[in-house]
Amino acid sequence: MTPNRRLSLIALAAALALPALAAQAAPLTIGYIYVGPKKDFGYNTSMDRGRLFVEKNVKGVKTLHVENIPETAEVEKVMERMIRAGATIIFATSYGYLDYAISLGKKYPKVTFLHAGGLQLGDNVGTYWANSDDAMYLAGMAAGAVSKSGKLGFIGAFPIPQVVRSINAFTLGAQSVNPKATTTVVWTGGWLLPPKEAEAANSLLDAGIDVIGGQVDSPMTYAQTAEKRRAHVVGKDVDVSHLAPKAVLTGASWDWGPTMLKLVNEVKAGTWKPSHVRGDMKDGTVVLDKFGPAVPEAVRKTILAKKEEILADKFKVWSGPITGQDGKSILAAGAAMPMEQLESMQFFVKGVIGTVK
Amino acid sequence: MTSAEIILTGLLISALRSATPLLLALLGECLTQRVGRINLGIEGQMLVGAVAGYATVAASGNPWMGLVGGALAGAALSSVYAWLTVVAQANQFASGLAVWMLGFGLSAYFGSQFVGVRIEGFEPGAAGLTPTVVMALVLVPLTALWLYGTREGLKWRAVGESEANARAMGIVPWRIVVSGIVVGGLFSGLGGAALSIDTTRTWAEGMTAGRGLVAVGLVIVARWNPWLCLPAALLFGVAEALSFRLQAADSAVSAHLLHMLPYLASLLVFVITCVRLRHHPQGGGAPAGLRAVFER
Repeated sequence: MTPNRRLSLIALAAALALPALAAQAAPLTIGYIYVGPKKDFGYNTSMDRGRLFVEKNVKGVKTLHVENIPETAEVEKVMERMIRAGATIIFATSYGYLDYAISLGKKYPKVTFLHAGGLQLGDNVGTYWANSDDAMYLAGMAAGAVSKSGKLGFIGAFPIPQVVRSINAFTLGAQSVNPKATTTVVWTGGWLLPPKEAEAANSLLDAGIDVIGGQVDSPMTYAQTAEKRRAHVVGKDVDVSHLAPKAVLTGASWDWGPTMLKLVNEVKAGTWKPSHVRGDMKDGTVVLDKFGPAVPEAVRKTILAKKEEILADKFKVWSGPITGQDGKSILAAGAAMPMEQLESMQFFVKGVIGTVK
Repeated sequence: MTSAEIILTGLLISALRSATPLLLALLGECLTQRVGRINLGIEGQMLVGAVAGYATVAASGNPWMGLVGGALAGAALSSVYAWLTVVAQANQFASGLAVWMLGFGLSAYFGSQFVGVRIEGFEPGAAGLTPTVVMALVLVPLTALWLYGTREGLKWRAVGESEANARAMGIVPWRIVVSGIVVGGLFSGLGGAALSIDTTRTWAEGMTAGRGLVAVGLVIVARWNPWLCLPAALLFGVAEALSFRLQAADSAVSAHLLHMLPYLASLLVFVITCVRLRHHPQGGGAPAGLRAVFER
């Protein structure tokens, strides 16, 4: 045997032994699955920041992550690969993974599946999500106050409840400071389509709209388009004010770390039970971004006062009266909207221009 | 604003802006196909052009340098295709797909560090036009002039028609084929850079979203003629601009259908062109050498 071959055999033996050692040393392996690239500076980045937070705060934890997994049966294969690699908790971070998590949950009863949003549970499948509507409402107030035309725009990826809620909360917030404010909605038909997002923003600005909100993978493209054209935007998921310092008024960002950490610690301690865990601005999962220079001092004060009301439970975005796009009443005065109705929202409030289809 | 105003205000500028990256790639693919090669790798070339351009601006602070960097990256990747199809004599379609995947992977890998990095872009000038739009428009007559008005252009067309005949005339076909592929790479890389630096000021993984492949199809619509590349690219640009303007004007048409508009419009003209070409004695401008690729 030549020295070289002996060396490679030793390397091979070491490579075989290492994972076994690692499995003993790391009792907890967590898998994360992302629908897009983790460095998208948007939704997936926010989830990945949660992963890094868990990694930092749980001793000896090992995380696996896979990017760009479509919401198809492919996610089952990825989950099974992760389970074979030792994962006992799986964060399925995109809305369309739920059915697959439920069906795999039956096959692997010892693994805990934690899915972003949705309304189904399994014996070992729970969901986590957060209500960003409060922050979107406050951001909408900034939009309504700064807009000169009273015409706002919104760029959405798909008409799913999570986006529809944002559009409605944004509009209600704007109308609280300018009752005549309207929101024109355009859909891009994809989460991450920068050329279309730029074109969508241009079309809205050409139509006389001067503040744009959005919920696509990342606000970076429409924010920069608005910056170029001296218009304004409200961000979502991740703060992009460093890219468009003048355009960004504020935004509603995620901070998933604490929620994920809490869930992981519960599973570790054996106290976890399948449920729909919902965070909000109060527990810090949702953050109202800092204000941009275009938001006047008086407006900031009004918004922050409203924020205090929300934190003190004195004001609820989803309390009646709420009127639908067609003028018909959706929620009677004083009534509160239940979580199930919120998370399946398929209507627009009065003042939204566009269709949920 | 009335619905008509929402739809029409700035429509042409929007269409031009949307069409610019595609037009650049289309002119490049037109030249490549003129020398007898169909390069599906153009999608990957646009992607490496987009990321290299973006990275160059991030490093140098100069968007013009970015355009140069993007074009060079596109040319570099296209030389892989040139090597595969000219030196290794590999199948054109398989080689194109390989280059596409290579470009996707390389751009995603090197690009991840540039997501969300701020760059200096071009400021929109009069009527919202930016330098890349003007550049693409100027390149249309220049490309046509080169192809139809110069001796070298004649050689390129001769090679595209028949490499054997060209060789009999004393031309060295492989040099011309490689030039055609690399110039195509240069153009598509420039198109990708225009998309990332100017149109969107964003780098995101896979951001071209099929524009390169649309260019491959639109060459047929443009009948391998640089002049006709302009209306072909504009067709796509107008349809894309309309898909959002119709939504903003609250039209009753579903957004899902509207998003098919650019592709439907392109496909429709494509089908009409192909049906008409079938009965055309000279193949409607298709280089004869190219037809051999399909009919072999």
